[in-house]
Amino acid sequence: MRTRPSRQALLYLGVVLTCGVLLFPIYWLVVTALSPADSLHHLPPKFWPEVPQWGIFRQIMEERPIPLWLGNSILAALGSVGISMFVSVFAGYSLSRFRLRGGPSLGLFILTAKMLPATLLVIPLFGIFRQLGLIGSLWSIILAHATLIVPFSTWMLKGYFDTIPRELEQAAMVDGCSPLGAMFRVILPVATPGLAATALYGFVLSWSDYAYARTFLTNSQTNWTANLGITTMKGEYITNWNQISAAAVLVALPIIVIYLFLERYLVGGLTAGAEK
Amino acid sequence: MNQHPTIAPPFTPSSAPSRRRFGLDLARPSRRHWLGYLLLAPAVVLIALIIIYPLFVSVDMSFQNVGLVRLGAPRRPFTTINYERLFTSPEFWMACWVTFKLIVVVTIACFVLGVGTGLLVNNKFRGRAIARLFVALPWAVPEIVAVVIFAWIFDSSFGLMNWFFIKLGLVNTTINWFSDPTAAFAAVAVTMVWKGYPFVSIMTLAGLQSIPEDFYNAARVDGANGWQRFINITLPCLMPVLGVTMVLTILWVFRDFSIIYVLTGGGPLKATQTLSIMTYEQAFSFFKMGYASAVGVVTLILCVIASRLMVGRSAESIY
Repeated sequence: MRTRPSRQALLYLGVVLTCGVLLFPIYWLVVTALSPADSLHHLPPKFWPEVPQWGIFRQIMEERPIPLWLGNSILAALGSVGISMFVSVFAGYSLSRFRLRGGPSLGLFILTAKMLPATLLVIPLFGIFRQLGLIGSLWSIILAHATLIVPFSTWMLKGYFDTIPRELEQAAMVDGCSPLGAMFRVILPVATPGLAATALYGFVLSWSDYAYARTFLTNSQTNWTANLGITTMKGEYITNWNQISAAAVLVALPIIVIYLFLERYLVGGLTAGAEK
Repeated sequence: MNQHPTIAPPFTPSSAPSRRRFGLDLARPSRRHWLGYLLLAPAVVLIALIIIYPLFVSVDMSFQNVGLVRLGAPRRPFTTINYERLFTSPEFWMACWVTFKLIVVVTIACFVLGVGTGLLVNNKFRGRAIARLFVALPWAVPEIVAVVIFAWIFDSSFGLMNWFFIKLGLVNTTINWFSDPTAAFAAVAVTMVWKGYPFVSIMTLAGLQSIPEDFYNAARVDGANGWQRFINITLPCLMPVLGVTMVLTILWVFRDFSIIYVLTGGGPLKATQTLSIMTYEQAFSFFKMGYASAVGVVTLILCVIASRLMVGRSAESIY
């Protein structure tokens, strides 16, 4: 690459401007959260809080059960990712290693399942869960999130297992491992990055859900997830923008941290298979 | 290699029959496919219970005249009234039109922004890794948080957008973003684009990574300039990835619920009511579950047709 200094400077300018404009909404969220309420209600807007109001976080925790909501979100994510990973590890391995009748059609079904609109599935699930008495409990959310995660994680894990040479298991079996033993002792350790990426992505899917939480948990405030809780802070006429922004910062933070530190894993999950 | 004959070899003949005690020797080649089915079973059972059965229930419901679903209740008689109502209802065609408009606007904007930023940070410069990370950061912002951000930016009294428009002299009075149909549509579209473009950037970058450097070197040797290299190498190599990305983006807009529902609730005057929002509203605001299921089934069929049309036989690569 021949790079002239002027071209390089122009490039930097372009990158900085683009990032600045595109990330401004995130910056604005943080500034709004840290501004005193009265300063938000006059124009021109202040683009820099003179005295950051760090107390806002304590204030919203006192007014709303935010730690509880975050805890529920974590429980729902752990539960749904746990169930999904358990079934998808086996299913993904099976789809990758065995030539079964019905395997391809199952694969095709899984792909179609990804196209299911949540708004369609939420209707029968509501009926079923009401029958089972699960409405309002976290279990309804855990099962509903599994509908989002399982098709995705099964397919993603199949892709990871496909990249691991079969000779590994064959060698393990020659050494006296059973097929299952070969899978657990040899293949899963090798596939750990793939498992981590899949679990992380499942976590993000569960954490970001609103439709199911809004439908199944409305009546039981103690079981609200953080996403659902935030939306109740948005008033019909009056919204305390600094409070809702502070709550939104807390909800966005875990995912943003995961993204910044484990981006390679997450993005690997996003782009896997798209380059075939 | 020093061998200790005193130590028993790991595989003793006595350990082989011990596995037979369970009656099924899974290591035997003839039994191997059983193991395959066994491993699939938990996933198949779970998917059957939480996806396939509910799907059947909703298709079944769409052919009954039901309000609130009671699974225990006796089935209502089979009827196509929901679909008849649907196709003669102006609200449904309006929702189709809104969905279509939103798909076109959001997809095009996401692609312009996403491919543009992808190409920009693919250049070689110091700090490229950080720039890549930041350019796609909105992908990591939960949709509800994006809604909070833009609901405040588009706030009619103290929002940034109005202040900015007035400063620029584009308007002389404040716009009520959420009570004007066109403005509300624009607000929804802007929010969705901001949330959706990073995915296109990520995919574009992944596609650019997979283009061999040799292609460019060969083109340079042949005297192609930067523009020609872009048109003749970069774009054709990106096409497959961009095709899949486009389908995924369209499906996302098709199915998205939370952004629109929390930002505008489908209003004002149903100007932002897509098929997804209509399905939900009919089911949980008016409790017409049968009718709502019909809308949902039509939405699903449209999703499947749209993706099949666009990717055709390469559907396997859809994520």
